[in-house]
Amino acid sequence: MPVDEDIGSRPGGDAPSNPGRRTFLKGVAIAAGTASIAAASPATRKREDPAVEELAAEHARDSALLINLTQCVGCGKCAQACKVDNGLEWREDQPVKGPDAALASSNWTVVHSEGSVGGDGEPRFVRQQCMHCLEPACVSACFVKALEKTESGAVVYDGNRCVGCRYCQMACPFSVPTFEWEETFGRISKCDFCFERTSLGKPTVCAEVCPRGALTFGRRDEMIAEAHRRIGAMPETYVPHVYGETEVGGTSVLYISDVDFELLGFRTSLPETPLPEYTWQITRLIPPVATGIFATLLALYIRRRRAILDAEDAAMAAEADAEVTS
Amino acid sequence: MTIRTTPYRAATRNRWTFTMTPLRGLLVAIVGVFLALVAYRFVFGVGAPTNLTDRWPWALWTWWKLTGVALAGAGYSTALMVHFLGRDRWHDVERGAFVLSLFGYLMVCSALILDLGQWYNAWHPVVYWGYHSVMFELFWCIGSYTVVQVVEFLYIFEERVPMPRFRPILKRIYVPLLFLGAILPVFHQSALCSLYVLAKGRLDPLWWSLLLPVFAVMTSFYVGPPVIAAENVAAKRIYGRPVHMRILGEMVRISAAVMFVYLVLKMADYYVRGVLPELFSGSALGNIALLELGVGVLLPMCMFMSRSVRMSRSKLVTASALTIFGVVLNRFNIVITGMAASTGAGMYRPHWMEVWFVIGLAAAVCLAYLFVVENFPVYVEKDVIASEAAFAEAEAERKAREAVGSLPARRAVRIETREVRVRQKHSVSTGPPPG
Repeated sequence: MPVDEDIGSRPGGDAPSNPGRRTFLKGVAIAAGTASIAAASPATRKREDPAVEELAAEHARDSALLINLTQCVGCGKCAQACKVDNGLEWREDQPVKGPDAALASSNWTVVHSEGSVGGDGEPRFVRQQCMHCLEPACVSACFVKALEKTESGAVVYDGNRCVGCRYCQMACPFSVPTFEWEETFGRISKCDFCFERTSLGKPTVCAEVCPRGALTFGRRDEMIAEAHRRIGAMPETYVPHVYGETEVGGTSVLYISDVDFELLGFRTSLPETPLPEYTWQITRLIPPVATGIFATLLALYIRRRRAILDAEDAAMAAEADAEVTS
Repeated sequence: MTIRTTPYRAATRNRWTFTMTPLRGLLVAIVGVFLALVAYRFVFGVGAPTNLTDRWPWALWTWWKLTGVALAGAGYSTALMVHFLGRDRWHDVERGAFVLSLFGYLMVCSALILDLGQWYNAWHPVVYWGYHSVMFELFWCIGSYTVVQVVEFLYIFEERVPMPRFRPILKRIYVPLLFLGAILPVFHQSALCSLYVLAKGRLDPLWWSLLLPVFAVMTSFYVGPPVIAAENVAAKRIYGRPVHMRILGEMVRISAAVMFVYLVLKMADYYVRGVLPELFSGSALGNIALLELGVGVLLPMCMFMSRSVRMSRSKLVTASALTIFGVVLNRFNIVITGMAASTGAGMYRPHWMEVWFVIGLAAAVCLAYLFVVENFPVYVEKDVIASEAAFAEAEAERKAREAVGSLPARRAVRIETREVRVRQKHSVSTGPPPG
């Protein structure tokens, strides 16, 4: 297990609502953070889409969760606390940790064992939960607005409104939403970023219980700065990428790791453009295209109607001629 | 296959009929089991009769819905050509296409309800406007188009069961319905495939494209005439109804033109996105895409352009079957093949019940179609005398075949045929049917 040397300099286990930490982080953000972002910027990927910068600025003050995978030992305390706090069912067939751990309607978060993918013989663990995208594909996919991105950063779900079409599952680039397959009237189920806590500025329950300090909760711009600071401090340990900074426009859950994200099972082929943008390029065309088609049909119809009337007139005239000649 | 007397003309009598045959008995049995499975699904939820998982939330049923709507596109493409592009003579095949389309959509709507977790909330989009979602567009366009088609069916229904009170209303809404019937399908046809635009990065680039909606409309448009050709040939086998070879020949030429544009656009799209190497890489996915485009589009397109194919019933049916295969495979590739790699959860295998739902829905459509054409004036030929003559010819042909080639018998048949024609010439022609 690689040891994070800067763990000492970090106020480990501090609640983010702690003013000392806030000030500290602000200091990081302003003094070191911005500098380290600038310093680390060659290492960060070049952004394809300027809208991503804009989006990051817009959501800078949202809550975010930074997950340091180098610190995770796969104890599963976060997943247990999540179950207790959210009243989710315990099920033998749906483990929350280990190689078979998978998100399910009663597992909002799991710690998945990846085996020794790092090449150093040490096991690696990946915590999975909703990424709380800045521009969530699930929210844009929901045709009854049962999903919503709140101001605090959480993507929340209203089961009473949901129709159960599961388009959000199809839309999610991280395959997070799960469906209650065993229920007669199945609903969607997913992490709500401890909405009741985070909307009051408190950290998520998982961030509070992590015994290793692998989870840091705070403002999104600060978490990004913190992530880059850690990478910049130990470039030989960390992979120079903050997963979630620009993926699909950015997410409110961020990961740093010492192993390539692809080896850990992360989807790395995702575009930087927020996914709803793609659909919006199409749906926004509907009104003009509909108008265009209507106008064309109208023109065709009027032309044909005239032709039919003319034909009728001609037929009547011919009939009249025939009568006259007879 | 014997050609029976035309039960489809029972529509002019006053009795409701449905002739049972062993094959129809089998279809009824399939639908019976299907209904039992529907009850099972509503009691135990979507997960019970399916192998759907969180990794495969949409699979076989979604493919069937996409396919059903695409093939039912025969209705709107024919209506568009008959009413707006001045192909009046194609009127004779329009009603058959329309009935197929109607039941295709009713089937897809039922399948949608079956697929919803909280189906009793299906009306929610009326109140909560998630207009950013393609699904919203789909809901409104499929829903309203199905209503439009049901109302349009009243015109046929009214000819069989007179409702003089409704006639003025039907007359008044006729033109608006024509417009709705031409506009709405364009949008939900496109929307069905646009659903997968959000799967950018997961749906294989061989099928993902921002042009997905355009491709969807084009495929559903060009598959219309082949579907009508298949329907016509089936009607010939079952009822001895004449196959409208000339109309079909003209229609598939338009199909071929649209297929050509489709292929060009598809290749341009591959080229621009740099996917062409993958297409010809010899990989499994590349080969499936090649099969789809080569055997399912290019080959039938070339066949449709050949005069000898358009003149021969069997060749026309072969080309039509290839086209339909191409579209069915395309939808399968979008929903399943192209998504398989990114699910990372092994291949999905449908539950037998899941498969039965698909077969059951298809069987129900067949039965409904047979019932309607036997009891309503669907196979109405604009020129009734011509159709009667064609029918008489078919009868004469049958008699000739029965006469095992004896010369006097053939001559007798010929004379009889001539007599039939002469009789019809003097019979009173009923006016051209409305619609």
